Amino acid sequence: MKARGQKMDSARFQSLAEAFGADCGRWPASDREAAAAYTLEHPEQANAILLEARKIDAALDLTRADVGDLSLLTARILSSAKKANRPVFDYRAALAMAACAVFGVLIGYGGGMLAPPSDVDEFYFASAFEAPTLEDEG
Amino acid sequence: MLDPDEDDVRKAAAGDALAAGALVRRHLPRMVGLARRMLNDAAEAEDVAQEVFLRVWKEAPKWRPGAAKFETWMHRVALNLCYDRLRRRRETPDPDAGLAVADGAPSANAAWLERQRASKVHVALGALPERQRAAITLVHFEERTNIEAAEMLEVSVDALESLLARGRRSLKAALADVIEDLIGDADGAARS
Repeated sequence: MKARGQKMDSARFQSLAEAFGADCGRWPASDREAAAAYTLEHPEQANAILLEARKIDAALDLTRADVGDLSLLTARILSSAKKANRPVFDYRAALAMAACAVFGVLIGYGGGMLAPPSDVDEFYFASAFEAPTLEDEG
Repeated sequence: MLDPDEDDVRKAAAGDALAAGALVRRHLPRMVGLARRMLNDAAEAEDVAQEVFLRVWKEAPKWRPGAAKFETWMHRVALNLCYDRLRRRRETPDPDAGLAVADGAPSANAAWLERQRASKVHVALGALPERQRAAITLVHFEERTNIEAAEMLEVSVDALESLLARGRRSLKAALADVIEDLIGDADGAARS
């Protein structure tokens, strides 16, 4: 790429036309001024070079086509946007919470089985199953 | 660098349906056009465009304006998705490839001739190396500047120029007959 303001030679003009085509509007902005000056100085050479480039442009333009109706695709994409913004159910977090709950229950049950019987429990059982008789009250 | 999409990307990430709609309307036709030129298949091109937007919705909340514009990033995603599909195609060749451009019965119909020529150009474009095809698509069809196209392709501007020149040179060789026909048509029209 040449710096702005530098004079352009035929080789550079041809390289640009071969790469970017005959429409100088597509050429690098930094080269346009020098290219315009070259065209004024060497109109025949410039036109011959641009004519060659225009042939490829014309062939490429044969394939220009409208993308057609995109309304269905647009609807699908916007629906995917709604789904993406919806809070999602995180299965990993749910599994981790369930595992914690099961672990907690097991710890509680195991701890209860391992704990020594207490006197207080016996008192409760006694008071529950050995209810006072009428004679005791009487 | 001012990014015209910045505001809509931020709003779409926060669930604003209007902003999401604006992004789709602004970029979908170009995404489809680019993918169609790269893949030469309308259905696959729509799949690629949809996939690009799925990535947009996923990445939007994390998006921070940086060196590249949002649109440039979208083009990179689309091109990479196209490259992936083209790579998979090479691994599993399509037995029907080429049937679409088989010569039919000769006809004087101008529309038929034009379709045949366009078909040859499509085939010649499809035969180019994918980066050359992408460079031509961005500069000729999308009318991107050399700087924008180079950023989208993640190459230097000099490398872009080289890709374009090589691509167009190959097209010139492959399409000699089409170009002759076009010149003949133009001369005929000028004489009449």
